[in-house]
Amino acid sequence: MTLAARDITKRFGGLTALAQVSLELKPGEVHGLIGPNGSGKTTLLNLFSGYYRPDGGNIVIDETEISDATVQKRAGLGVARTFQKPRLLPTLSVLDNAMLGGWRDARAGFLATAFSLPQVKADERELRSRAEELLHGVGLSHAIGRRANLLEHAEQRFLEIARGLAQRPRFLLLDEPAGGLTPAEIEHLGAVIRVMRESGVGVLLVEHHTDFVFRISDRVTTLDVGAVIKHGTPDEVKRDPEVIRVYLGA
Amino acid sequence: MKFPNRAVAILIVMAALITLPWWSGDLYKLHLAALICTYWVLIGGLNLVVGYSGQLSIGHVGLLAIGAYCFAILAGTHGMHPAFAIAASGALCALCGLLLGLPSLRLPGFYFAMATLAFALIVTEITLAQGNLTGGGVGLPVPGFPPPFDTPRGTYWLILAIAVLVTWLAWNVARHTWGRGLVAVRDSAVTAQAVGVPVFRAKLTVFVFSGFTAGVAGALFAVLQSYITPDTFVFDLGLFFFVCIIIGGRGHIIGPAIGTIVLTALPEMVAPLAKLGNFFYGLLLLAVVLLVPEGIGRVFEILIEHFRPRRGESHVVKPDLERLARAIENGQSK
Repeated sequence: MTLAARDITKRFGGLTALAQVSLELKPGEVHGLIGPNGSGKTTLLNLFSGYYRPDGGNIVIDETEISDATVQKRAGLGVARTFQKPRLLPTLSVLDNAMLGGWRDARAGFLATAFSLPQVKADERELRSRAEELLHGVGLSHAIGRRANLLEHAEQRFLEIARGLAQRPRFLLLDEPAGGLTPAEIEHLGAVIRVMRESGVGVLLVEHHTDFVFRISDRVTTLDVGAVIKHGTPDEVKRDPEVIRVYLGA
Repeated sequence: MKFPNRAVAILIVMAALITLPWWSGDLYKLHLAALICTYWVLIGGLNLVVGYSGQLSIGHVGLLAIGAYCFAILAGTHGMHPAFAIAASGALCALCGLLLGLPSLRLPGFYFAMATLAFALIVTEITLAQGNLTGGGVGLPVPGFPPPFDTPRGTYWLILAIAVLVTWLAWNVARHTWGRGLVAVRDSAVTAQAVGVPVFRAKLTVFVFSGFTAGVAGALFAVLQSYITPDTFVFDLGLFFFVCIIIGGRGHIIGPAIGTIVLTALPEMVAPLAKLGNFFYGLLLLAVVLLVPEGIGRVFEILIEHFRPRRGESHVVKPDLERLARAIENGQSK
């Protein structure tokens, strides 16, 4: 029951972005992934979610190799993500954006949809209530009917999380979710992430706000120039001399 | 999002359309209305391709031509019942859509548009070259519909019914999960993938559907023309379909419908404009692209939003953690 990278190597041309990196994400844990700019955090996240193929090593879910599986296939296996720069559908409502996350659960095919068969109505009701509950849950009650292009930055971030949760994921990969948030909003984000953990979702948290990461993560992995320099509990990582030297500073 | 008067508005429009033969005045206007409905059968399907999934097909006139010739040959030359001939036109064009879409829908936007353009040009050349089948440059006569659809009114009502059906089908696709998936393909393929939308298959599916409606439109168009030659299917017509959608607005149904009506009717209704048909398209297109790039449909939305009571414009995110936990756990227990 894990999502794991095993000895992953990824090259872009002559540049080695990741060299034999391993990371294991368990359900019900928050795993922080930190490191300086260009250390390979987002690259690793893209390898997990399937936008990149590794040049060496494997991506494994529940002991099944998925290194070559498409992004869509991985979504079906319970891997969801958000993006560093929120990628919403600007002309659709907040509710529609969240409901998009339920795409895989809509059983009706194209023709059934075109003829609006009962199955379509049932799918739609189910997805709508799920999306509404999640939107209320992450704190977007006030914006449900609004067009997504009218949202402010923090609202966009929380909407991406709601869309990700609408996928009913076992693992949710968050790419710098605290970027651009105010301290109060970061508190809300932390609370939302804790709820996900308690509900058994495995959360991979790629983030620059290190104090935030140390506060809410169960384990932390630190990358530097494409290699893991320290892995452990927040306290262990915080005190590691190498981590302090390359990233945290004195 | 529903505004309560929508059902009333639909009823009024439907009543007006059904009774149109009694108030339109002359037969020419009735013919024009039937032509608009025919164009809409094609554009309503094409709208899912262009307006929703964002694939810029400018070559649907090629499919229209295939549908028209298919109908003329089956119903005319071979005497098949027109109802079956219409269905056959649709099926053949759906197949053509599949064969055209398979290689070309993987291309990025501009190259896809070029592929559809090439397709339309090839179809014209084939209709010219295959003289024993299509009559070559001389063309083919097209039989009318059987009674009770053989009068101008009957023809209009039949075509109107098909146009309404296409509108209903497209609307069903647009407002459900499929519509959201298509908009994701258009606005952010990365997001589409992330939530599991099979991008290529989704594009191909709506393209085949648009092929089917283009084929049906071709058959209806042939009947309205009563005689078809390769010149009937000039490339401008393909561009016209595309422009109707762009002017109407991407991601809407009512906008492109209005675009179709305005662009077809105005140059015909206002006599001095008839000669300036292309000038008029150009001007309108320029005005829309510069002033309301999101099209007529967006103007409607803005008007509706304007008359709706405003709620407070709060932007404060305040999570409800208990509700969130329940929502996540409900999802997992399924």
